[in-house]
Amino acid sequence: MTVTTEPALRTRRPPEPAARTRRRSLRPTLVGWSFILPNFLGFALLTLVPMVFGLALSFMDWSPWGDPEWVGFENFERMLRNSTFWIALWNTTYYAAGHIPLTMAVSLGLALLLNRTLAGLGFFRTAFFLPYVTSLVAVAVVWNMLFNPTSGPVNQFLQFAGVTDPPGWTSSTAWAMPAVIVASVWRDMGYYMVLFLAGLQTIPTELYEAARVDGANAWQRFRNITLPGLRPTTFFVLIMCTVASFKVFDLIVVMTDGGPGRATKVLSQLIYEEGIREGRFGLASAISLVLFLLVAGFTVIQFLLQRRQEDR
Amino acid sequence: MKRYPSALAAIAAASAVALAGCSSPASETADPSAPVTLTVSAWNLDKTPEFNALFEAFEAAHPNVTIQPVEILADDYPEKVATMLAGGDTTDVLTMKNVIDYARYANRGQLLDLTDFVAELPTDKIAGLEPFDIDGKYAAVPYRQDFWVLYYNKALFDAAGLPHPDHLTWAQYGELAKKLTSGTTPDGQQVYGTYHHIWRSVVQAIAAAQTGGDQLSGDYGFMKDQYSLALDLQNAGAALDFGTAKTQKVNYRSMFETGQTAMMPMGTWYIAGIKAAIEGGTSSVQWGMAPMPQISAGGETATFGSPTAFAVNENAKNVEMAKEFIRFATGEEGAKVLAGIGVVPAYSSDAVTAAFTALPGDELSKTTFTENKKVVLEMPVSEVTSDIDTILNEEHELIMAGQKSIDDGIRDAGERVKNEVL
Amino acid sequence: MTANLTSTVTPKPDAVPNRGSAPPRPAIPARVRKVVHSALLTVLCLLVLVPFVWMISSSLKHDNQVFTVPTQWIPREFVWSNYVDIWTQIPMLAYLRNSAFLAITISFLQVITGSFAAYGFAKLRFPGRDWLFLAYLATIAVPWQAYMIPQYLIMEKLGLVNTHLSIILLQAFGAFGVFLMRQYYQSIPDELIEAARIDGLSEYRIWWRIMLPLSRPAIASLGLLTFVSTWNDYMGPFIYFTSNELWTVQLGLRSFVGQYDAAYAMIMTGSVISVLPVVLVFLLGQRQFIQGIATSGLKG
Repeated sequence: MTVTTEPALRTRRPPEPAARTRRRSLRPTLVGWSFILPNFLGFALLTLVPMVFGLALSFMDWSPWGDPEWVGFENFERMLRNSTFWIALWNTTYYAAGHIPLTMAVSLGLALLLNRTLAGLGFFRTAFFLPYVTSLVAVAVVWNMLFNPTSGPVNQFLQFAGVTDPPGWTSSTAWAMPAVIVASVWRDMGYYMVLFLAGLQTIPTELYEAARVDGANAWQRFRNITLPGLRPTTFFVLIMCTVASFKVFDLIVVMTDGGPGRATKVLSQLIYEEGIREGRFGLASAISLVLFLLVAGFTVIQFLLQRRQEDR
Repeated sequence: MKRYPSALAAIAAASAVALAGCSSPASETADPSAPVTLTVSAWNLDKTPEFNALFEAFEAAHPNVTIQPVEILADDYPEKVATMLAGGDTTDVLTMKNVIDYARYANRGQLLDLTDFVAELPTDKIAGLEPFDIDGKYAAVPYRQDFWVLYYNKALFDAAGLPHPDHLTWAQYGELAKKLTSGTTPDGQQVYGTYHHIWRSVVQAIAAAQTGGDQLSGDYGFMKDQYSLALDLQNAGAALDFGTAKTQKVNYRSMFETGQTAMMPMGTWYIAGIKAAIEGGTSSVQWGMAPMPQISAGGETATFGSPTAFAVNENAKNVEMAKEFIRFATGEEGAKVLAGIGVVPAYSSDAVTAAFTALPGDELSKTTFTENKKVVLEMPVSEVTSDIDTILNEEHELIMAGQKSIDDGIRDAGERVKNEVL
Repeated sequence: MTANLTSTVTPKPDAVPNRGSAPPRPAIPARVRKVVHSALLTVLCLLVLVPFVWMISSSLKHDNQVFTVPTQWIPREFVWSNYVDIWTQIPMLAYLRNSAFLAITISFLQVITGSFAAYGFAKLRFPGRDWLFLAYLATIAVPWQAYMIPQYLIMEKLGLVNTHLSIILLQAFGAFGVFLMRQYYQSIPDELIEAARIDGLSEYRIWWRIMLPLSRPAIASLGLLTFVSTWNDYMGPFIYFTSNELWTVQLGLRSFVGQYDAAYAMIMTGSVISVLPVVLVFLLGQRQFIQGIATSGLKG
């Protein structure tokens, strides 16, 4: 039984004689790279190169029908003077701040609920996954209907519960973003539920049994077994959810198209409009660079935090 | 590991082929009756009958030509064409969906200069040619010219005992709309006096056309009256509110064809749509067409519209045949084909009007179509058009959704345009 | 790397207050709990499925009945012919075939190359490993709008535009699969791998014989999510597939959207049909998420 092995059994080989060390340290490197190469090569050629070029464009003035021309920071200056950029930056951050914790909590909850034997388990899991594959148009229309200020059930319920002046939701500048966040949590919960479900399978059931025998209640089991066991998965979900939240595009376009006005306009939309619609690739790349740094920064911090946690 | 070498080989092979094949320049066959394959860009072939109609008619008149349509989804047509042209695409004839896109391609030098060609055409009969004039040069010719009219539901008017909307003023229009907001359709849905679709042109372009205001100027006071009317009707319940229409993606066709609205300002492209719906049995609306309401009675009808045109790709392979196609499509023969299926051609003549059988038989509809009218371009063309369009759209939404007062919206639109664009 | 698993084997002493002294609290009978559980889930399910119900209802209407206000949940007239007509109005079968081909191929490639690379990142040590992984991670953060055009130009020079191969190459290699599998591999104890190494297995054998079978839930989730993403992808096929024969379902459905109007009912009909294969794949894939499978490799 491997359950009760001593903690922190890390791989430590005994020190080697100097002459062989150099040759030995080359082999793991080669082997390691041989695993990475197939994926990396395809990725580097077809995605990494365009990405780097795309981001380098932020320092140039370029349209595909002309030659690129170095302009230094001009695109960034233009971006900073654009009022829509600041609005989009705020909206994107607002959206992410709402979407990330809610989605993670809900999807983890769903995964826990659906990680046991249950009649119709397959059906339930599929049902909660369905929002993710439902046509976006359907999602947008139905949620907008639910949130309709006068005839929608949400406000009717609120009025019934005593709220005198219910919010205008997607027709109002103040409440459009919360409405979009709710719809997007609903949509994404199935996706991350799948990831959490996979992660939950790595936790041996014996641990739970042992804990139950020792008298730990559900919350204690969750806190001391589930959460730590899920750490690699949680890290993954957190990163993916963060990146996806900052890059959100489709749902916003279909649900509110950045409106009313610019109340829900996000950075990806701005990038699309400036780059692909207007042909101002330099400016679009500058905005992309900002978005990228924002998200990459967050990702790196999370990665370093997680690595420190593991080394403890 | 086995996949890797084969993928690399595939890429190498593909690039070898590509490099070998892309050197021959465009060449014209000297023989005019030699078989030619003409490529024409188009959208949604199945749903847009005008293309196939024109293609078939042209092929019948020129048996040595086969037209190969390059079908692109209407939804993202401009983006796709921009991407294609950026990659050096050689499609011969490019359909210009609207004037804004045309201006972009023309300014980038992606369209062949057609100024001499245009000089030979009967330009006095072709409506909507001026917008394609950029600094005295033409690079496209319109084949259809749509303009805005007032559609109305005859049955609802008759049931309410009201006269048909013949040359109304906006004040009269407003009153009628309020009177006609009553009752329900057979399905129990509410009937509105009028329906204003969510596009900003419904308010802004008509105001510009009728007051002479310039949508590119940054001074938008001329829109105030039109907004007042629109909001008044919305608040009185005579028109479906903007918020609902936008968020629930209300479709103007649904509103009119199911009898939910007595009146509706809309473009003439809808004629073909109603015709198809009635013939297909999905609607039984008794419809008529009237001129757009005007600010004051008695003058010339002023409305706005938009031409659709054909242009020749700078990199086209079959330049002469492309021009021949354009001559056909924008001339009387093409116009008759279009009129036959209910599309409003840019070319006008008596023969064309006679071929336009899609209109309802009453006098008012005919007059609307044939009378002299001033058709202003929906949005002036310039380098800043697209940016201004975005700003105007955003403020339009805020005003119509009640998030800003008309004055604030107009003022902000003007300020944003002046500060950020002009 | 597995410290997080092995260090929490024994529950901490202060987490078990009841030990020894007080009698355990009476638990709610398991039967009642299960019923409440199921009821709660069923209610949630029904709420969650509302937009899907709207989709189905819209697919059975005429185009001008779809976006009416107020919404008619039950179509006035059930237009069953939509489900017949769609196969002839657009080459739906061909589109479904293309979508299936792409989705299956790309999912398969992603799983293979991703898990292969993940092993290198998770279980092998070599200089620069973590920085390379960080670079991989960082690329997920770049929005596609930023590199879409440069990527198109490269693909064009390679002559791959308007081929299925273009999309396959673009999407089969990426950071997502590598990331997902690496995280999962981190929870597989090093001892297992050490033991295998001592037994003389090469790293490649270890990956094939040990890592892959142990990571079935991860493979299932990666395969599933990649399948769904590819199936629903619009932008990629839109840019790269000019010929109608190559189009996928998502492109095909958009052809119902015209310049001023759209055949909404047909779009919904197509969307409903398009969801069915995905649901099937999901039902099959989620069977891997059964507790106990992963642990079987650890015993003994």
